[in-house]
Amino acid sequence: MTQLLLFNVTNGLIIGAFYALMALGLSLILNLSNVINFAHGGFLVIGGYLAYTITPYVGFWGALLIAPVLTAVIGLAVEGVLIRPLYGRDPLYSLLMTFGLAFIIEDGTRFIWGAQGKPVTIPPFLARPLSHELFFITGYRIFMVVTVTIAVALIFALLRYTRLGIRIRAATLDLEMVAAMGVNVRILRSLNFAAGIYLAGLAGALAAGQLGLEPTMGTGLLMPSFIAIIIGGVGSLTGTLIGGLLIGVASGVTAVFAPAASEAVMYVLMAFILLARPRGLLGEEGMMT
Amino acid sequence: MSSALDTKGASEAASAPPAKVLEVVNVGKRFGSLVAVDDISLAVARGELRAIIGPNGAGKTTFFNLISGFFPPSAGRIVFDGRDVTTMPAYRRVAIGMARTFQITEIFPELSVFENLQIGVEIAAGYRLRPWISRAEKSAVRGRIDEILNLAGLTGKTDRLVGELAHGDQRVAEIAMALTLRPRLLLLDEPAAGMGDQETYTVTKLIRDLHRGAEMAIVLIEHDMRVVFGLADRITVLDRGRVLAEGSPQHIAGDAAVQQAYLGKTA
Amino acid sequence: MTGTLSTRKLAVLLAIWALLALAPYWMPPLGGYTALGTRVLVLALAAMSVNFLLGFTGVLSFGHAAYFGLGAYGAGFALKFLAPSTPLAIVCGMMLGGLVGAALGWVIAHRRGVYFAMVTIAIGQVFYYIAFQWSSLTGGDDGLRGFSRQPIDFGLFKLDIVSNSETFYYFVLVCFALVLAIMAFILRSPFGRTLIAIRENERRARFLGIPVDRHIWIAFSLSCFFMGFAGALYALVNNFADPRGLHYSQSGDFVMMAVMGGMRNFWGPLLGAAVFVVLQDYLSSVTVNWMSGVGALFVVIVLFFPRGLLGFVRSKSQA
Repeated sequence: MTQLLLFNVTNGLIIGAFYALMALGLSLILNLSNVINFAHGGFLVIGGYLAYTITPYVGFWGALLIAPVLTAVIGLAVEGVLIRPLYGRDPLYSLLMTFGLAFIIEDGTRFIWGAQGKPVTIPPFLARPLSHELFFITGYRIFMVVTVTIAVALIFALLRYTRLGIRIRAATLDLEMVAAMGVNVRILRSLNFAAGIYLAGLAGALAAGQLGLEPTMGTGLLMPSFIAIIIGGVGSLTGTLIGGLLIGVASGVTAVFAPAASEAVMYVLMAFILLARPRGLLGEEGMMT
Repeated sequence: MSSALDTKGASEAASAPPAKVLEVVNVGKRFGSLVAVDDISLAVARGELRAIIGPNGAGKTTFFNLISGFFPPSAGRIVFDGRDVTTMPAYRRVAIGMARTFQITEIFPELSVFENLQIGVEIAAGYRLRPWISRAEKSAVRGRIDEILNLAGLTGKTDRLVGELAHGDQRVAEIAMALTLRPRLLLLDEPAAGMGDQETYTVTKLIRDLHRGAEMAIVLIEHDMRVVFGLADRITVLDRGRVLAEGSPQHIAGDAAVQQAYLGKTA
Repeated sequence: MTGTLSTRKLAVLLAIWALLALAPYWMPPLGGYTALGTRVLVLALAAMSVNFLLGFTGVLSFGHAAYFGLGAYGAGFALKFLAPSTPLAIVCGMMLGGLVGAALGWVIAHRRGVYFAMVTIAIGQVFYYIAFQWSSLTGGDDGLRGFSRQPIDFGLFKLDIVSNSETFYYFVLVCFALVLAIMAFILRSPFGRTLIAIRENERRARFLGIPVDRHIWIAFSLSCFFMGFAGALYALVNNFADPRGLHYSQSGDFVMMAVMGGMRNFWGPLLGAAVFVVLQDYLSSVTVNWMSGVGALFVVIVLFFPRGLLGFVRSKSQA
């Protein structure tokens, strides 16, 4: 029983780490630019496929390092051409834009790389499990969690200690003030967007080794990211982080007792939060208006 | 005129209304560690025209926001017409007789002047939730709109989009919208802001005409001293979130502390 | 109501209704068919219901297909488990979509902007998930089957809406007209004007004495009843209800129809629905990558025609 529980909770934590990674990128973009990036899953897919494509040239580690950066560059281009013109307008338009983008990206990846899934190989030393009892804790899974932790820590450190990060945080709270102080808001938004996309690309490169690669893999992660943000509280990155982990662990625990309900539990959590604490776990009052 | 459009307060006022239409008792407002309003107490009598002046940052607009219910105070009480409205939401304060204009004109820019006023008149008549009104009611509404257009001097611009009007006309239109609600307290936040001499004269005359009615109290924030001294019964001077001085225009004009506050701030 | 319409507006109205009434006659020569027209009518009704919130109240509900889907399932359940009655099915669908919408709307009516949109999307997905997973009741991924629209017996005569596609088209047209009349009636009323006020300037609306959250809730609920009605009709069109009708991508389609036609115009969503359906059908028949075509459409409309086709025409005529 404990073994089963441990298995599922570990699974849950790993999934949760993934949700958190995705949700964090989504949250960054949402907080500063007021844009819901429906195409976030699409960028995850791009990250995965790019990793797959460049692995023969730079190896597994090279791909892991480079693919997310490439994805972020694509994100930068997309933001500059398609999303920037919409900032002054009703948020409806940026919603529709990322919506359409999601379609284009999914079809595009299908077109470029084919509709079938692609096999992804990971370095053998990572594929080995930790021990015989803890067979489910493979090296790759630990590696994923470690990578996610490092990435998240880096993002938080960037936001807290670098000048860019401080400006992003200030702009999230009061864009006009920051602009009035002479900060180039356009560049700020672009870099912020790129950072969010980087996280999506990283998630994709990591997921490829765990889930396999296919054009529709991104859409399944979009909703949990939304819910992580709603649960954690809009405007709070730490909240989003906690939200993602919470969803993952909750679904893991539920899988032990009622396997069919494990996917539903995140909706239940969301319903609970909406009714009992609408601003989310760490959300601030008045952030929703 | 149809009875539905009569003053909301008329029937309630039959039983000895309080002498003060507005009483503010030790209100304060802080945003985190920023103290916007420190401690203000004042009272406005029925039909009085009170001007609130003070240097920038004195907390004047914040004070208006507290009175009108834009946000709740951190401390103190607000009593309107004998009722404690400290925690009452803004829309309800409007319903019981408080109306305001804003420093930056808040109107419906893509609707005509007629339509802008129509909404207020219908709400004041209690038609807010009505899916239908009778022909008689409709013509009463139209009559009331014409009455206010006349009062505000906007009769020739009935069908123009408010967003396309000159700045001065827009601010007058906003006052007209507030009037549709038959308020017992009208709060005007810098009504003459951004206006040239002619427009300032027009809006000052409008406010003076409104003041003659005697039933409605008017509180206005202004920087233009011609408007202030031309209209006010009493003046309250705010500085750094507190009341610095209060009294008749002559008294305020001669007050040394007031001069210091203004001169000191502009230096 | 007609007293306030100008002659020109009246002429346009008559033209529209003439076009709709004669559709089974002018569509086939152009390569269309009556059932396509029926489908467009129902989707247009859904798009107009979304636009009741989006274009007229200024509320960004992006998960609205959920109530459309609920309407479809409601109609299907009624026909399968209650009675072989088309009118009952429509009422059941409308009530399911409307009542659920009203209940949920109460919880979320204080939110605004993208945060409101997010929550509506997430809520919509809950229903998608339920429809997908609860396969014993809903048929899961395969959808709800085993029901079909029934002929309507008025006592004096019977309406064969089952086998005669023209009769069904006119039946749907009458339903369409009915809901539209109610919608137009509401929008032209004092209450409707408060919604427009909220769209134009929420702060001013609040300070004119409008309890904004409450009015938004009422508008939201009304629009969910309309959506449920449209969804019920849709189930009758296909004799089938499926989870995809609840998915947020369906919501996005409805919003796009409204935007593409012109949000500020009452008839905009009808035009948008017609163009969208025709375009999508055409694209999926010529290429397997039709998804990117639809996506490209979204991008182009948002960047270059944000006021939609009718808005574009209006700005050109004023130039």
